[in-house]
Amino acid sequence: MSGLAALWFLSLGIAAVALLIMFGLLLARMVLGWTGRARDVEKKRIVPLLLGSRPHGKLRGGGRGDLLATLLVELIQLVRGSDRDRFVEAATRLGVPERLRHNLNSGSPRVRLAAAEALAEFADEESVERLHAALRDRNSDVRLSAALSLASVDRTPPARELVDLLGIGTRENSLLTVGLFRDIAARRPNEIKALILDDSVPANAKASAIEALSASADYALVPLIASLALSSDSEDPALSRYLRALGAFAHPAGEKAVKRGLGSPRWDVRAAAAEAAGKIGLIGLGTQLREALADREWWVRFRAGEALARMGTDGAALLRQAAAQAPEPGRTAARLTMAERGIV
Amino acid sequence: MTAWQAWGLWAAEWIALLVIFTGLLQTFFYVVQLGFAGVALGRRPPIARASLLWRRYADEAPAIAVLAPAFNEEVTIVESVNSLLALHYPDFEVIVINDGSKDRTLETVIGHFGLSRVERFHDVAVKHNPIRGLYASPRLPRLLVVDKENGGKSDALNAGINVARAPLFCSIDADSLLEPDALLRAVRPFVEEPLKTVAVGGTIRIANGSRIEAGQVLDIRMPRNFLALVQIVEYLRAFLMARLALSAMQALTVISGAFGLFQRHAAMEVGGYSHGTVGEDMDLVMKLHGLFRERRQPYRIDFIPDPVCWTEVPESLVILGRQRARWQRGALEVFSRHKKMLFNPRYGRIGFLGMGHVLIVDVLGPIVEVLGYFLVPLLWSLGLLAADYLLAFLAITFTFGIFVSTATLILEEAELRRFPKKRDLAILTAVAVVENFGYRQLANFWRLRGWWQFLRKQQGWGTMTRKGFARP
Repeated sequence: MSGLAALWFLSLGIAAVALLIMFGLLLARMVLGWTGRARDVEKKRIVPLLLGSRPHGKLRGGGRGDLLATLLVELIQLVRGSDRDRFVEAATRLGVPERLRHNLNSGSPRVRLAAAEALAEFADEESVERLHAALRDRNSDVRLSAALSLASVDRTPPARELVDLLGIGTRENSLLTVGLFRDIAARRPNEIKALILDDSVPANAKASAIEALSASADYALVPLIASLALSSDSEDPALSRYLRALGAFAHPAGEKAVKRGLGSPRWDVRAAAAEAAGKIGLIGLGTQLREALADREWWVRFRAGEALARMGTDGAALLRQAAAQAPEPGRTAARLTMAERGIV
Repeated sequence: MTAWQAWGLWAAEWIALLVIFTGLLQTFFYVVQLGFAGVALGRRPPIARASLLWRRYADEAPAIAVLAPAFNEEVTIVESVNSLLALHYPDFEVIVINDGSKDRTLETVIGHFGLSRVERFHDVAVKHNPIRGLYASPRLPRLLVVDKENGGKSDALNAGINVARAPLFCSIDADSLLEPDALLRAVRPFVEEPLKTVAVGGTIRIANGSRIEAGQVLDIRMPRNFLALVQIVEYLRAFLMARLALSAMQALTVISGAFGLFQRHAAMEVGGYSHGTVGEDMDLVMKLHGLFRERRQPYRIDFIPDPVCWTEVPESLVILGRQRARWQRGALEVFSRHKKMLFNPRYGRIGFLGMGHVLIVDVLGPIVEVLGYFLVPLLWSLGLLAADYLLAFLAITFTFGIFVSTATLILEEAELRRFPKKRDLAILTAVAVVENFGYRQLANFWRLRGWWQFLRKQQGWGTMTRKGFARP
């Protein structure tokens, strides 16, 4: 048989195998369809039991474990207060945490991820221990989910250790790390503050920590963040995050850092500095903001206009001046900002 | 045997081998893609419920501007805008761009939503036809209407990019129906890889036959029209196999114009959407690849398999043929514009895998396959080719095609199971076989027409008559 004829027979063979597999899946679907119906029946039976409308019924674990686990976790996530406690208790009684812990060993990252997320609802020692182990999972999504679950029950390892385990700021740059730090900061703010001071913590991890703390109104952090911003390389991408945090604190101690940011070669840093100037109300930077209305990058012009508009009569005067005298594109930026904000 | 006969035999064999080799190369690409798509599906995060996604992303998700170009959409504009305003996402704005409609699209949207003319400071970096006015209402802070002179979809999107104030924008088609949690699902790569992600595409599904109310697909049903059924299998191959695999290889060359999420600043750096091509969605993706490759800056262009958008597909041969010719022309135009990337080490895997895929599947594929339809049977009947050549040709045009389509369906059923009824799955399996006999050949002829239009430098979209989504 020639190679060309072999190609024909090979194509016939694999097409036939594919069709056979599809046929098998169709058969499986028929069976699953029946199972699906059985699951629907089970679901209808379980929900009232869990809701307590049929308190004398009996819950079963075992065979329908996956369904129970999914259903209970969904219910737990939907409710709060005593209902939630009741569902958590029912789930624990039915062995849902055990099943989820078992799923953390699955070969499928998807199953491990779902288990790590769901275990957040249970704070028992064994689950916490398994979540700690999952911080070393080979999949980064599973690691981060385990950390978020632990943070939600205040059982994470020290934040510094977490930075290393997850590679925050190096391998792991997810925005969810801000939420992770925020959760930790709610109970152990000093750990997150310590990250900002620690020279060995990567800049992006520090920026996440700063963002997490920016809603804390802990003004003692302002000089610290300002000094970080002042000592950062002007090309450092974390610089704009530092400046946004300074804007969120709205404390004048950030002025020097904001002033430096306005002169950065990076447009995102200039825009963040202009935004921060407006939020802090740094009218002393008014002249620089007026000049920024003519920046080559629209975002900077927009943020500068926005900042001046926030600064009351002094800012409005600078906008009027720019609208009347500044060369383009500063003139248009000022004119349209005034029109949009109703400044006459 | 005379010299002429010997030469004829030699030529016939080489023609057949060229056809078979090209077909095999395409099949090889598909098999590799199936493997990558299978692994990517196995590794994807679980499809979370919208409430869980909200809880997870609400605090961190970046703002998104949804850009909805509208041209002569007077009848559907209000429902479309209402559907967009009802999206579940923490921070978004809907920018409707009236691209010089000749009907009452603008008046309808202004009147219904009580909008009035406003001034808004916006960017002017991306080129487009002049904006005539902006309309908004303080009662609907998420809605902004841009009225501009007609310039086509890419021009309208460029105006939307300039006016948008969010770091991300989502481009959609006028007839796209978004799932309510589409933005929450599609934003995932931007949240998880914020420093690298520049664009994300999502799965487009076919809504023909399904029950739709208030801009939402309520009951997924199979269309009764054969062409729409075939397109379901085609879309599965395109999205579930090709795009998912190319995304896993980081060599995705196209994000559908029906739904795509882009980093606004990156899109502006490449000048937004290009004019003068019907492949503007593919062109934007290629320009982004070019920009980041040339800068040697790490970046990601991803595809998510979650279903995020529904669309209506043509149910008549004439309109489908026109659409396919246009798609082919678009692919050739973009290939021609970015040909310097092909097999250029500077562009890495996008030059080899991405552009290589376009070369084999879109540029050479239809020509060589149609050549094969004529020549291989003819040469065999003239006795110039052995039967083995004919069999090998049948393998690459029919049986491998059945394998690839069926294998995609297997992936769908094993990993996603999005077709609720087993009868639907059985129908699609039958379609995966039948489409190779007649439809595939017709599709290749349409693509050749696209080639011809490309060579004649034909411009424009042609008339795309829509049947309209089924209403209750």
